[in-house]
Amino acid sequence: MTNERHEGEQTMSILRRSAIIALATASVLPQALAANAAELNYLTWEGYAVDSFISKFEAASGCKVSASYVGSNDDFAAKLAAGGGVYDIITPSLDTVPMLRLAGFVAPIDTAKVEGFGDIYPEFSKESDVVADGETWAVPLIWGSVSLIYRPDKFETAPDSIAVLFDPALKGKISLWDDKSALYWTARYLGYDNIFDLTDEQLDAVKAKLIEQKPLIRKYWASAGELTELMANQEVYVSNAWTGLTSKDVNNLKKGFEVVEFTPKEKAEGWMDSMMLVKDSPNEDCAYKFMSFMQSPDGQCGLAESTGYFPANPKAVQGCMSDELKKERQVDNVEFVKSLVMWQQPARLDKYLETWNAVKAAP
Amino acid sequence: MTLTRRTIPGFAALFSLPLAWVLLLMVVPYAIMISVGFWTRQFPLFYPDFQFGNYAQILADPQYTTVILRTLKIAACVTVCALLLGYPLAYFLVFTVRSQKLRNLLYMSVIVPLWVSYLLRAYTWKIILGTDGALNSLLVSTGLVSAPLDIFLYNQTAMVVTLVYIFVPFMVMPLFTVLDNIPRRLIEASEDLGVGPFMTFWKVIFPLSLGGVIAGATMTFCLSFGDFVAPVLVGGPDGTMVANLLQTQFGAALNWPLGSALATLVLALVLILLQLSSRLDRAGRVDLA
Repeated sequence: MTNERHEGEQTMSILRRSAIIALATASVLPQALAANAAELNYLTWEGYAVDSFISKFEAASGCKVSASYVGSNDDFAAKLAAGGGVYDIITPSLDTVPMLRLAGFVAPIDTAKVEGFGDIYPEFSKESDVVADGETWAVPLIWGSVSLIYRPDKFETAPDSIAVLFDPALKGKISLWDDKSALYWTARYLGYDNIFDLTDEQLDAVKAKLIEQKPLIRKYWASAGELTELMANQEVYVSNAWTGLTSKDVNNLKKGFEVVEFTPKEKAEGWMDSMMLVKDSPNEDCAYKFMSFMQSPDGQCGLAESTGYFPANPKAVQGCMSDELKKERQVDNVEFVKSLVMWQQPARLDKYLETWNAVKAAP
Repeated sequence: MTLTRRTIPGFAALFSLPLAWVLLLMVVPYAIMISVGFWTRQFPLFYPDFQFGNYAQILADPQYTTVILRTLKIAACVTVCALLLGYPLAYFLVFTVRSQKLRNLLYMSVIVPLWVSYLLRAYTWKIILGTDGALNSLLVSTGLVSAPLDIFLYNQTAMVVTLVYIFVPFMVMPLFTVLDNIPRRLIEASEDLGVGPFMTFWKVIFPLSLGGVIAGATMTFCLSFGDFVAPVLVGGPDGTMVANLLQTQFGAALNWPLGSALATLVLALVLILLQLSSRLDRAGRVDLA
């Protein structure tokens, strides 16, 4: 009468073994692929490796691009910590640039090899986190804001404040980005102005507020695709969102309703993404070709079109954008930065991450 | 057994590969994981050390115990539901279905979903349970509710439903095997002695099937305990399970030492559970010889 035990043990060991094989294959494959010549492994955001312009780069350079995507800025270091040789170019936001440099994951950039580097807004290319220790560490790529989006057909009066994310009347219809920036939004809602250097008491207040908000939240979104789905399937009516991208994607689905972006009276948040070169990249040639391409009209206009964000190189887009679009995308109006709360690396990044994880783990 | 000079090469040839496999892919990784649990973190990186700070943090901060208890609760719910669904199904297949062909067909239909990607099967539940989903369209079109309900998706019930669906074959397989191996003469003897169907089940069939119940329950429990996909796909803001915490510590939080310490605790928990289940199994064994 031991048949059932054998059956059980067999199934168990088959499972365990296949999991290990899968794991081993998964960890070996990317490295094997990365070893090939004329390859570029690109760790980036959704919308940043769209075929419309990547195919032009591949045709011109002979480098084959394979892209992987992150859901938040904290994923870059996590992926690089798992071992080198897998990615060549990453595109973190400015608030994550110093941390990646300090952790030793990236190499300084020879700006002479990046065509068009001199035409980038100097506000970005000479920023104190971009240029450090006498070296340039990042090539500014694109910038934009994080604002709020909502369903006008579900609101009697248009919301104008972050308070809408904490409104009990919207219970179960609110979403929020699964990211440490949830702390920034809450801190600003609570009226703190030192949001990147909160004290322990302030962090505790932010945490308490976010835990109080949890029953109102339908789902924290972890990728732009997930938020698009939540909005399109009528699961949520309001959320913070990457300005330009989600509203475009949801409205393109023509679900019979519209979503609209708005800037709350407490301001929207601003970010600037730049390309960084991973240390000891075997594909440095392709990497420099890629950084140059992304500063060209094809690169800047292609990316601005696929994402709805603002180009970092105003000269590159002169010929490929209509005047109307230039106005909308703040071309030659880098002053717009001042109307945003630009992200900075929090003084105690680890503490912020811990706080956000504690919120997510709470009942 | 003593190894003579002649058998040593044969012995080595036969067992060196599996031994190397176990050593390289199981023992060494576990040892690394356990030792990283004692390292110290210095943001953004970590360095080798020997200290118990990570364990102290896990025990002191209520977020970790909350999540571990929640995971135990969900895994227990999944196991009980899978047993309540899987036992009658296995019983039906073995004792009620007369035709061998039909029985095999039905058994295969329980097993076949395992060949479909786990992600796909979990994702399907999202489509069924969503506000705009299949279940709501059915309820609205039949007039049972006037507007779509949002109570089905993004909560712990949705997680349990999804996990039960995914892991029920692991309950049915061992149950089917034990029930199928119960000698029919024992059941006939019970009936000949004038015992009714229910008491025959309770006194003869059920005790003889306990091994399958324990094996199925153990597998279902351990698999759901370590799941991290259901919380992401169909769980809500209160759905974080222990595997998600681990993912965060090795991912966004970049705290491998804390993650390793947590993983070691989870491993210990599962080992205790396996030990308990094998004891139960031995205690409940009936000798049919």
